[in-house]
Amino acid sequence: MGRGIVEVMARQEIDVYLYDQDRSAVERAFVHIQNQLDKQVYRTKISEQQKMKMLAAIHPVDQLHAFHTCDLIIEAIMEEMSVKQQLFKALEKVVSTSCILATNTSSLSVTEIASVMQNPKRMLALHFFNPAPKMPLVEVVVGVHTDQNVAEEMKTWLKQTLLKEPVMVRDAPGFIVNRVARPFHTEAYRMVASGETSKTQVDKILQDAGFKMGPFQLQDLIGIDINYAASMSVYESFNHEPRLRPHPNQQKMLQSGLLGRKTKKGHYHYE
Amino acid sequence: MNRTALIYEKGEGILFHEVSKYFKQKKIEVITHTEFTLYQPQVDIVIDLDSGFTTNKRKWLSLIEQEMGADIPIFSSAHYYSATEMASWLIHPTRLVGFSPIAIQDRNILEVSRPLQAKGIKNEDEKYALWQTLGKTVEEVADEPGLVFPRTIAMLVNEAVFAWREQVASQTEIDIAMKKGTNFPFGPFEWADQIGIASIVAILSGLYREFGEERYRPAPYLKKMFYANAHFDVDKEERSC
Repeated sequence: MGRGIVEVMARQEIDVYLYDQDRSAVERAFVHIQNQLDKQVYRTKISEQQKMKMLAAIHPVDQLHAFHTCDLIIEAIMEEMSVKQQLFKALEKVVSTSCILATNTSSLSVTEIASVMQNPKRMLALHFFNPAPKMPLVEVVVGVHTDQNVAEEMKTWLKQTLLKEPVMVRDAPGFIVNRVARPFHTEAYRMVASGETSKTQVDKILQDAGFKMGPFQLQDLIGIDINYAASMSVYESFNHEPRLRPHPNQQKMLQSGLLGRKTKKGHYHYE
Repeated sequence: MNRTALIYEKGEGILFHEVSKYFKQKKIEVITHTEFTLYQPQVDIVIDLDSGFTTNKRKWLSLIEQEMGADIPIFSSAHYYSATEMASWLIHPTRLVGFSPIAIQDRNILEVSRPLQAKGIKNEDEKYALWQTLGKTVEEVADEPGLVFPRTIAMLVNEAVFAWREQVASQTEIDIAMKKGTNFPFGPFEWADQIGIASIVAILSGLYREFGEERYRPAPYLKKMFYANAHFDVDKEERSC
């Protein structure tokens, strides 16, 4: 996800520092972005000149102190509370006092991440959607201590500079999308549980009603493991609210290794 | 071929207007039950849009059965009751088919549910013939309140209302997020206004009643809006709140 966010910034020719503590990981990420841009040049989505400008805007770094001149940091590391908290504590020591700190978390509380910081007012979540260069939405998540002016400033910047579609969200499990979309997936399992309605029928009916993909097609694309993890995360964060309870068959798919397109078998078979 | 559909006029909110308009556009003569009792014309199909959530659907279905020949199919809204439960009120239960009238103009598929009493009857082509001549593909799904699309939308709207009332985000931002973040064709609040809050509450209440599961409990504010005959108006949110 971090690579996609870097590409979004570079597209607007914003100087962006691509960081990982592992130098080889930074290099791999840079090469990946380079390859993505080469494909875009090949498909005439961007010119060679644009590609060069974008690459010039990206600065691969493996030292945190490289961030001391930055106005904004967006963290996109693993979804592990203690790891994120440790990083933000370290960042606070090297960035300027006016630098805004953001996490791209999709499932953790920004309030909890910020709880270890000296100045949690400048901390918020900017939740980009995958693939970040293509998906317009960004959830601007306001924690308990986030300064509302910081959130407003970020919303305006995302809209005017990055040309994204930002929405303001209070810090709550699943934010908007990962929570409100849950029934689309979990209810689908219930509808086919008796065997009297097929998965194909559910997908067909919902596509006919205007959805781009049915829930089973979409889960195969996302990955059934990823979708199940999102369902469980929201369910547990809401203290096992029955409305958000995943269906046992969702877990069974995971246990049987039927994960969707990436394993060539999921709700459907792909050869 | 001239066809006549009797449409029960007590369907929730906007449904009667929408379904009548659809049939008239397709050159099907539409009569209401009031008109039927006056001059008793030939009827090919009975369309019952009333979910029964707040009305005595059993009484109406029993009445229509007395007035119609046993061979006239009754397509009855399965938003609140299962087809099997509705069929149990009839002398000729196999004539009843559950269906959803939601967004009938825009959809190519007609979802239907057959009552358990009709199990074993293989060929329902005659019952579906009118819909097929109108270009609809008939899909038989499990006989559960809300069928597939209406049930999915009702659950999405319910979760969106819970989130909105918990001040997670505004109606407008929730609608934008669902369209731009996950490619939904409409936001849940836009959808609720199109379909009608009455239908959403009827479906959720029907599922809650049928399965007895907490997950189907309608959001309290959604019920209030239903009682107040209110609607979400995402462009004028201040007024709706």
